[in-house]
Amino acid sequence: MGSKTWADLAREMKMFLWNPEERTCLGRTAKSWGLIFLFYFIFYTCLAGMFAFCLYVMLLTLSPYTPRYRDRVSPPGVMIRPYLNGFTIAFNVSQPGTWQPYVDSMHHFLAAYDDKVQEEKNIECISGRYFIQGGNESEEKKACQFKRSLLQNCSGIEDPTFGYSKGQPCILLKMNRIIGYRPGAGVPVSVDCKVQKGNESNLRSVDFYPGNGTFDLMYYPYYGKLTHVNYTSPLVAMHFTDVKKNYMVPIQCSLNGKGF
Amino acid sequence: MVKEASEMGSTNSSSKAWHVVYKIIKIWNVMIIEAVPDVHHNTKTLFLLQKKSDVYSVEDLWDKRSRKTDIGDEEEKYKDLKGNKKKKAEDLKKEVELDDHKLSASELEEKYGTSVNKGLSSARAAEILARDGPNSLTPPKATPEIVKFLKQMVGGFSILLWIGAVFSWISFGIQLAQGAESPFDNLYLGVVLALVVILTGIFAYYQEAKSTNIMASFSKMIPQQALVIRDAEKKELPADQLVVGDIVEIKGGDRIPADIRLIFTQGCKVDNSSLTGESEPQSRSCDFTHENPLETRNIAFYSTTCVEGTATGIVINTGDRTVIGRIASLTSGVGNEKTPIAIEIEHFVYLVAGVAISIGVLFFIISVSMRYKILDSIIFLIGIIVANVPEGLLATVTVSLSLTAKRMAKKNCLVKNLEAVETLGSTSIICSDKTGTLTQNRMTVAHLWFDNQIYSADTSEDQTTQPFDQSSPSWTALSKIVTLCNRAEFRPGQENLPIMKRVVVGDASETALLKFAEVILGDVMSIRARNRKVAEIPFNSTNKFQLSIHETDDPNDKRFLLVMKGAPERILERCSTIMINGKEEPLDSEKAEAFQTAYMELGGLGERVLGFCHLYLPEDEFPDTYPFDTDSMNFPTSNLCFVGLLSMIDPPRSTVPDAVSKCRSAGIKVIMVTGDHPITAKAIAKSVGIISATSETVEDIAKRLNIPVEQVNRREATAAVVNGMELKDMSLQQLDEILCNHSEIVFARTSPQQKLIIVEGCQRQGAVVAVTGDGVNDSPALKKADIGIAMGIAGSDAAKNAADMVLLDDNFASIVTGVEEGRLIFDNLKKTIAYTLTKNIAELCPFLIYIIASIPMPIGTITILFIDLGTDIIPSVALAYEKAESDIMNRRPRNKRKDRLVNEQLAVYSYLQIGIMQSVGAFITYFTVYAEQGFLPSTLLGVRVDWENNAINDFEDSYGQQWTKYQRMYLQWTGYTAFFVSITIQQVADLIIRKTRRNSIFQQGLFRNKVIWVGIFSQIGIALILTYGLGHVTALNFTPLRFQYWFVAVPFAILIWVYDEVRKLFIRRYPGSWWDKNMYY
Repeated sequence: MGSKTWADLAREMKMFLWNPEERTCLGRTAKSWGLIFLFYFIFYTCLAGMFAFCLYVMLLTLSPYTPRYRDRVSPPGVMIRPYLNGFTIAFNVSQPGTWQPYVDSMHHFLAAYDDKVQEEKNIECISGRYFIQGGNESEEKKACQFKRSLLQNCSGIEDPTFGYSKGQPCILLKMNRIIGYRPGAGVPVSVDCKVQKGNESNLRSVDFYPGNGTFDLMYYPYYGKLTHVNYTSPLVAMHFTDVKKNYMVPIQCSLNGKGF
Repeated sequence: MVKEASEMGSTNSSSKAWHVVYKIIKIWNVMIIEAVPDVHHNTKTLFLLQKKSDVYSVEDLWDKRSRKTDIGDEEEKYKDLKGNKKKKAEDLKKEVELDDHKLSASELEEKYGTSVNKGLSSARAAEILARDGPNSLTPPKATPEIVKFLKQMVGGFSILLWIGAVFSWISFGIQLAQGAESPFDNLYLGVVLALVVILTGIFAYYQEAKSTNIMASFSKMIPQQALVIRDAEKKELPADQLVVGDIVEIKGGDRIPADIRLIFTQGCKVDNSSLTGESEPQSRSCDFTHENPLETRNIAFYSTTCVEGTATGIVINTGDRTVIGRIASLTSGVGNEKTPIAIEIEHFVYLVAGVAISIGVLFFIISVSMRYKILDSIIFLIGIIVANVPEGLLATVTVSLSLTAKRMAKKNCLVKNLEAVETLGSTSIICSDKTGTLTQNRMTVAHLWFDNQIYSADTSEDQTTQPFDQSSPSWTALSKIVTLCNRAEFRPGQENLPIMKRVVVGDASETALLKFAEVILGDVMSIRARNRKVAEIPFNSTNKFQLSIHETDDPNDKRFLLVMKGAPERILERCSTIMINGKEEPLDSEKAEAFQTAYMELGGLGERVLGFCHLYLPEDEFPDTYPFDTDSMNFPTSNLCFVGLLSMIDPPRSTVPDAVSKCRSAGIKVIMVTGDHPITAKAIAKSVGIISATSETVEDIAKRLNIPVEQVNRREATAAVVNGMELKDMSLQQLDEILCNHSEIVFARTSPQQKLIIVEGCQRQGAVVAVTGDGVNDSPALKKADIGIAMGIAGSDAAKNAADMVLLDDNFASIVTGVEEGRLIFDNLKKTIAYTLTKNIAELCPFLIYIIASIPMPIGTITILFIDLGTDIIPSVALAYEKAESDIMNRRPRNKRKDRLVNEQLAVYSYLQIGIMQSVGAFITYFTVYAEQGFLPSTLLGVRVDWENNAINDFEDSYGQQWTKYQRMYLQWTGYTAFFVSITIQQVADLIIRKTRRNSIFQQGLFRNKVIWVGIFSQIGIALILTYGLGHVTALNFTPLRFQYWFVAVPFAILIWVYDEVRKLFIRRYPGSWWDKNMYY
């Protein structure tokens, strides 16, 4: 029979789009289309209702304070500040423009740790043991002070450039929050850093603040965003005082403690 | 000659302007029929009839549409065509020029370096064999394996997947160049996609090859043997070892192993029907009788059969150089029509590909305008394509078809081309041969007339006794004549076979009589031995009788018994008395009248009638020593005693009437096409129900109303018996009219060429036509038909090659069971496709929502592939085992244009209803998994960028907890697994609902199809293995899932089931309603 010409196809297409004889559009009359739309409207409304209902019921079973499972989130990860786009920190001491973003990031991040803010919002806790707050789950929990000044040379109080202007950058390390998690099982978790690959002498010395680079137990456990409103994660600052310059030094910092 | 043949072949294929679609050559009348659709889309059929000379009569029959087109243009093509054809016809004539028939035996011996007595030496034969190749027809040029394989690689959805793979590699390249952190994901994805294509391609290729192998093994099952004289010894050799110059001996029942010039014959007759369509056996002798090698008597042709007698001859042509070989090589150029299921699958592939591409492009545009990176958009595009394409489906369809093919093979339908399985199901017209297909292909005594009474005999296939009254002494006399006046003999060594199955040497009528006598009287051979034959005149066409004289087995009776049989009117002429109840009575006009009535009645039944008479020769005139001389006929051949009539017919197979009525209720028109006489054809058609008891032909009405045929209203006649001679003079319009107006049609006295015209006529009506055939000349009709059915027993190799299907038992009833299977598989494929398409939406929605709502990816591309090619494969094949919902043989054949495999309702119901329900169920699981880990649904919206950022390791959840990238990825994989598990669970429900389209599952029976349960268990088993067994293999993105998540989607699975039951209930309750029209697929 051969294939149809384009004109035929176009005519057929036009007929399909709008057939004036049978008054059909896309092969259906207005009534037919109406019924179809009505049907699907009802169908999808019911389905959406069912979806919403199921989600609602599911959410009802959840506690607003603690997620049901925490197995995927633990053990906690760590994160550093300053954070711009990645984990590579490179700058030119003589050009402030190259390190100013890092410094800004640090200041921004540490604003919540200002001594005044901490004193205002949080309480002082007893160092060296977990700060367990019993009582009702829905009760508001108190948070322990973590003052910026604890970070000493890396607090940005004495040296607002966090050592970047001297080529001795500070990097803050924080441990991810996990509800109810008690790191170290009674012994504070400590941080140490080493060169991941390459010459160990590239790193030379690192200073840790506060203390010897430990996360004090009193900051744990975390009780969740809803009740533990003013919780501020404890930090460990690492001051790379003598890192090899003009050279890519991959540094790996790790947490040492039981249960990791 | 070989070279010429191949050149002709190449002209055919290379001539672009005249794309020769098919060609049959009936050399007998040197007639060429050729249909040539021209390049300008106007269908035009051209018949060139050449009548021995070079004069052409051109009859142009094209339909009205093409009349509008430019005539001048057409004219030119004519000239072109004429010139072309003239040359070809001449080539052809040259080709059949042989001069061997003109040579004497000694000249032949010299020409072929052989000796009539000693034959060739083995060494010489081996040389010639090496030169000429084996004596077998080269099978039609098969598509090279590599091409077949590559076709599988690019056919169907493969192109889409290749595009996906190429995009993956491109984005891998770009990411690599940009130095992204994990570009290898895309490389792997591309490799996986390519692997999927290659593996499914290999699988499809393997399936195809397997079914071809079944066919190949079948054709090799019975190697033909030939009796050859070589090294002065008679040897049995495989026929393909024959070479030119070999001396072969043939006897009745053999197939002629090569083209043979006969040098010695004894009563040899050959059946040339496979070559010429001539159904009468032709006698063969050593004499040169005609210039035309095809007309001369001293050549027997390859692949024809020797019906009786013996002959010895010199092989003059072997293999493709034989006359049949040349025809076969020409007919193999006939193009194959696309099978309906291939069209349906193509339609389906277009549909799904269309959906995939349009959604893909739409979302590409959306994602670009939502300021996604181009690269990301491309990756989304790949995901959408992968989600949309049912990767495993084509393989599933192939498996389902081959399962059905296997089932059909058990029922004696051997399917060569897998797709033909379904074609048979959509058949709306069957053009069936009579002999062998509708009938048993053997003459059987059907009626007897003696003592002025007609008796019916049992004509069933496995008769062991005859029920009619055998007490009359007339019967004793008649049985004696039947036994003695008969030259047919059983081949020795068949004593244990049932009588009806024994092989007999002799012609068809004598065989019938021999078996008839054997059934009633027992050992005929010993009766003949007791009644020694003393003289005999065999049957010939001038005297039309056969006569023999015997001693009797009664020791007291010294008379000779003269027995005679032949054409009833000739026999009656020679009689003066007639036997009534054992007594001879004078043959008066009243008795002659009774004879006439009986004769007409039996003749009217389309039966071949024989008359029988005898005479006891008086002892005194003919003593023991009387020298009977058959040449001078020194004995009486008149004034004999007429004993009775026997009539024979090739009776219908006992299963056929039932099968025909099944066809009728299934809306399939059965047309009988036979070379037989119209009366016989009509009688058989009536007895099997092709012409039903109540319907009349125009002639019947004319006879009943006693008016001339012309005055009969043709519309009133439902039946028609068309003679081949009438058909020849008919225009196509007239033929169409007949095919349209009559529901019961018999074509009698047709040649195989006319079969082709009939097939085309039926196809013009839009019918899907099945055609049966056995001869070489049937092959064009077999190819032209939508489904060509060759006979496994009687069929020639050429017919089997051209056919799509081979009937192993030559039985029409097998076609009907095939139709049933074909219809069932169409229904079941619908179910399979509906099942497979549904989950595509559940795979696609995650992508769309991921793009629009920027939630973490709910399901990965690899995971999708695990559904498509893992969990879903066995269940979708299991649907092929589903039993029919209702009697599928009570419905009309499907309309090619309207009843699509994948129709709008199926797609819409699967995609927009069940698919969406599945998506909702799977999303519930997804949100549950995330929420229970700390990410409430509200938190998930719009997080995509940060979520996927490798540098963010303190991503905060709804509870203030912080997640590293790896933790998030692991959670994301858990989400994949949960989504995967939910789809799997809901696919179980989908599988169950797809068991039926109209009936309730409870009507169909939940446990009747055990394979479905195998499917369900395999589905769940594979999902368990993937989640718990391979949950730790990172690359697969599966994680061990909490057990309760398996049940989140269960309510939705139940909802799907309930909803579908409601749908089916409304469909059953309110047939023809809006709901039925929109919801029944």
